[in-house]
Amino acid sequence: MKEIQKLYDRIIQRANINLRELEFDVNPYVQNVIPFEQMIKFYAFFGISPHHRLNFQFKNSNLAGSYFLGQCRITNSLLYKSDIRGDELKRAGDLFEYQGFEIPVSRDEEIEITDSLLIKTLVHNFSHDPETLEEFFIKDTISMNYANIHGAPSDGCFLGSFATVDLTTMRDSVIGNFAYVQAGEISHLDIAPGTVWVRVPGEFNFIYTHPQEELNHYIYFKAGIAPQGQLIDFVEDRKEAFQRVFDVVNIEQSIPVPSSASLDRYAVSKSPIHIGENVLVSQRAFLQNAWLGKGANAQENCYIINSRLEGCNVTAHGAKIIEADMGTNVFVGFNSFLKGGPDSRLTIGKDSIVMPHTIIDIKEPLEIPAGSLVWGMIKSAKDLKNHSISIEKFSKINGGLSMGNMFFEGDGASFIAGFQDRIHHILEANGAFFNGSDKKGHAQKNQYISFNTLQPYPEGPRKGLYPTIVIKP
Amino acid sequence: MNYIVKDLMVPISDYATISEGSTFLEALLALETPEVDLKNSIHPHWIVLVLNSDEKVVGKLSQINMLRALEPRTEDVKNIDKLGKFGFGSNFITQLREELRLDDTSIENVYTSSTTLQMKVEDFMKKLADNDFIDENTSLATAAHQMSVRKRLSMLVTRDDEVVGVLRLSDVFTAVINAMKSKT
Repeated sequence: MKEIQKLYDRIIQRANINLRELEFDVNPYVQNVIPFEQMIKFYAFFGISPHHRLNFQFKNSNLAGSYFLGQCRITNSLLYKSDIRGDELKRAGDLFEYQGFEIPVSRDEEIEITDSLLIKTLVHNFSHDPETLEEFFIKDTISMNYANIHGAPSDGCFLGSFATVDLTTMRDSVIGNFAYVQAGEISHLDIAPGTVWVRVPGEFNFIYTHPQEELNHYIYFKAGIAPQGQLIDFVEDRKEAFQRVFDVVNIEQSIPVPSSASLDRYAVSKSPIHIGENVLVSQRAFLQNAWLGKGANAQENCYIINSRLEGCNVTAHGAKIIEADMGTNVFVGFNSFLKGGPDSRLTIGKDSIVMPHTIIDIKEPLEIPAGSLVWGMIKSAKDLKNHSISIEKFSKINGGLSMGNMFFEGDGASFIAGFQDRIHHILEANGAFFNGSDKKGHAQKNQYISFNTLQPYPEGPRKGLYPTIVIKP
Repeated sequence: MNYIVKDLMVPISDYATISEGSTFLEALLALETPEVDLKNSIHPHWIVLVLNSDEKVVGKLSQINMLRALEPRTEDVKNIDKLGKFGFGSNFITQLREELRLDDTSIENVYTSSTTLQMKVEDFMKKLADNDFIDENTSLATAAHQMSVRKRLSMLVTRDDEVVGVLRLSDVFTAVINAMKSKT
């Protein structure tokens, strides 16, 4: 274990050097969160399919329980139960559109993780940085449980538990627990826990901050204390179901899945389950008594329990839907926690947008009208009034709006169009519009993935580290 | 004349001082009736020096420090103030503050609340840093340069380690103008 300890120390030191200006010390946050003994318990695994590139390079790293797909290079890093999904990377010859320019991509893009510690983190999408089109880099970075690094190159950053950075290049920044950032580029920023920030300079700027004390009930994590709260309890309570999925080599799937849909073998599904045409259920998703209509999806770390999704629903990475009925085309953003009850169901009307990192936790039935934009923390119909607005009304904003802790400046129509375009793109990429021959997406391509496992040194000074491995076609 | 700092400074004895631990109200009264040294300068001075128990200068108080201390500190105000860091426009932020002021009369009460008036000077004074000091033998040109790049309206003048006076921007400016006039 000597080498793994050295590697850990090196990563901590490098992250701290980057964060010195913010006077942020990562050590007390990560120490003892994952004991080294845990890091040798789990195998790593990677997917092979005719639809995905195959180019993995692992060097001087621990990869315990992590999953790899596509093209990635991992060096001097510790990846614990993380998903590194390189199935949306750019290809040589693609044209990247940026501010009216079309920039050609010179070689296949790859995810390059160096000197980083990622814990139960999802890495997905592609670099949106026009300066690094071919490298989706993550270096000198530490991310905690259930963080999402989505199309977001990172250099010298710390992401708290359930934090998401989306389509943003980040440098020397701290992203607090349950904070969501989509801002193009950030540097030397300390983002408070529970901040939800979406900005396109010159077009719009949206920010909401969760009330700290209430947020602490859902996720609380600070130096010297392991992440805790309702979100952690929720996930931990369902951990065992995943254990079986990962322990068994050939798992029998008893749920009928249409030929155009995909239910990942590393997802948990507890009957009754309905999987419609063109549905995508990703690895580490959890379904229990769930009805998924045509083109709906459940991405990594999603939980859909006692709920019905009518169709073309995007349930983004880490979102949780419990005791709810969702109309068609409802978008539920990253890590949102939507929790109704058996006697207090949550209903969300069609074409609604639930902003990333929204919490709805109700004791009375709640109905959200079709075409709503929803954000923040909602526990009652009264809260809903202050944390939602019709998309039509929002689109008419030209200037500014503030509602409680939410502030918006800029062009409302541009903000809504940006979201709607993106939702369409996600559905397209996931294969929701597959017509039997064209418009294939992940739902169709992921059916033919086979999985292979990798193991670390079981003993000796390199115990826990994986040998240098290069995997190519 | 080749001025040096000690030719231009106001001696520390001409300045109003106040002790650490004094309240906002005491500071306000001290600042309201500053000592005015009209023998050496046409400019009144508008800062109060803060002394610790050893009679050493540890901070200074100006009108801007007092006004900053009066800024409301409610959660709503804090939320609005944070917006600048996230790229929101200054006009938008000003408008939000105005709307909040109209909605929340407690903001007006902050000027007279006992909490405000009992604040201690060390909570809102300008604490001194290395670049707040200048040696008494420094030339006019260097002093003008330092005040310019350090964006200071006044600096504390030292003889060895002891503070002996205050160099004010107004006196430096007057000396520079006079020097220019004498050459033309």
